[in-house]
Amino acid sequence: MRKCWLVFLLSISAYALSAPVELKVNLRVGSQPLQWGQTYQTPQGLRYQIDLLKFYISEVALVRPDGREVRLDGLSLAEFKRDGPTQGVRVMMMDVPPGQYRGLRFNVGVPRELNHLDAGTQQLPLGVNSGMYWAWNPGYIFYRLEGIALLPEGNQKWVIHMGTDAFRLPVRLHDLQTRRVQINIPPSGRVITLNLDVAKAFEPGPGGAFVDWRKQSLRQLHGLSPETSLLMSVVYFNMQSAFSLAQ
Amino acid sequence: MRRRQFIALGLLLGVGLLGFFLWPRPTQSTSTADLPIPPQASPRVLFAERTVPIPEDNPQTPAKVELGRRLFYDTRLSKDGTVACASCHKPEFAFSDGGKPVSTGIFGRKGLRNAPTLTNVAFRRHLFWEGRSPRLELQAVGPLTAHDEMGLEPEELAQKLGAIPEYARAFQEVFGEAPSLKTVTYAIAAFERTLVSYNSPFDRYQAGDDSAMSQAALRGMELFFGEKGDCFHCHVGPDFTDDEPRNTALYTVYKDIGLARATGKDEDVGKFKTPTLRNVALTAPYMHDGSIQTLREAVQHYNRGGEPNLNADALIRPLGLTDPEVEDLVAFLESLTDRSFTTNPALLPPRGKGSTP
Repeated sequence: MRKCWLVFLLSISAYALSAPVELKVNLRVGSQPLQWGQTYQTPQGLRYQIDLLKFYISEVALVRPDGREVRLDGLSLAEFKRDGPTQGVRVMMMDVPPGQYRGLRFNVGVPRELNHLDAGTQQLPLGVNSGMYWAWNPGYIFYRLEGIALLPEGNQKWVIHMGTDAFRLPVRLHDLQTRRVQINIPPSGRVITLNLDVAKAFEPGPGGAFVDWRKQSLRQLHGLSPETSLLMSVVYFNMQSAFSLAQ
Repeated sequence: MRRRQFIALGLLLGVGLLGFFLWPRPTQSTSTADLPIPPQASPRVLFAERTVPIPEDNPQTPAKVELGRRLFYDTRLSKDGTVACASCHKPEFAFSDGGKPVSTGIFGRKGLRNAPTLTNVAFRRHLFWEGRSPRLELQAVGPLTAHDEMGLEPEELAQKLGAIPEYARAFQEVFGEAPSLKTVTYAIAAFERTLVSYNSPFDRYQAGDDSAMSQAALRGMELFFGEKGDCFHCHVGPDFTDDEPRNTALYTVYKDIGLARATGKDEDVGKFKTPTLRNVALTAPYMHDGSIQTLREAVQHYNRGGEPNLNADALIRPLGLTDPEVEDLVAFLESLTDRSFTTNPALLPPRGKGSTP
């Protein structure tokens, strides 16, 4: 009987110690909400549309004011498809100790210890049915953005498949120096919404290098290939600042 | 006091040495009477018998193999309904693409690489030309989803097959679940594990049939397995492949960089997996890009030692083979052809449809 009380008390205190937090994402092009079928323009004047975005989010942690962090388990696959919602889409649910935080960090990607297991035996959101398994380059695509380029010779499909352990993308949305980032999590929980500017990928890198879809070889941007790794690195660098906390 | 210690130590050492020499040890048997007599019928068997390795999570069943066969020959597994696995892996060409350097996928899109034979593919430890895929189930994801091959997203494939009652029923029977990319690849892999070929003139010669191979082919075999032709270091084992990526000095500058595409390393540029040579006479053209038309030209490439390339395999060098020797090697390669494999009804399309979709 006493044991039952103990279990009851423990479960009550566990409940009080964690608040449900929902992570949502808004897709943006620059500062505007992404719209399927709308034609956008890169800084270099190339016209394009977005058709698909899927990415993994993992190794999420909330950062306390003193710099320690609360690490949260879980791996999610965020999916945005043509004609589906692009604003306020839930990508993850977490249980978090209530309190004051100065931001969060996470990785876009699959943790290394999961990335190299036999995909045949893994379950969703991993496994081959995820559509993110890379058959010729075992492991998963971490960030998969696809669309069409409107070129003078006609519409051409392009893909950006960012993956391999070298391109696991760290996103840091915390600030301990100023009071600019404040995330208060009450015991009842809350929603944290992120903006993701998908057009960041197309900003020019060092020496003005950019993803030029007029070149056929750059319409397929993949992992580590030496042919495209410079531009993959540009995209990778740009994407580190593509996420922001929505106000 | 000290002297006594020395004496004791000396005694101990002496006993130890004596023990070492006198200790009974197994003697080498000089009689051969109890050794098994080598089978007289096949004095030339190079390879032990092998069984097809089956992964634990995908046991073979007749129903699964049959389902895999139907899927293998079904063009509905592609986005525009024109491409099946068998479109580029045609049985009459030992499951390769019949003379085409590269294959044509959905909407007429051309691939970049030569479709390899599926002869004895169950035994390959590495798949794809880079050799980066560990097993057939996972390899099949590539062509099914690649935008220039069959081009289906996992959801589209599941929906398409789920709407075909025969398939919905068959998947339920075999896997206890609805069709999905995963179950499709598992069924296809089960069928691919039945694509075994062991009945070439070379195999019959190995089994003791002296008349199975021509004199030219026999001379070619000596060259193949000798240091002069030096083919056997890479084309090794029962399927004539080591399954390893190597640069064969085909070009100085490779348009398709091979393994480096996946690893990003300069030393991997131009490395492609050693292909099997079984049924090689049926699988022209050759090399990863199908740039060499005939077996003779392929042998001549190695005879010349290829083009200058820093990544070239250490074994690539001019071989100094004479023209007749090149012909003999070609004759040997032709003796690896197994027509009972390409005409085996169990491997052809079900219900006797045309052999290619």
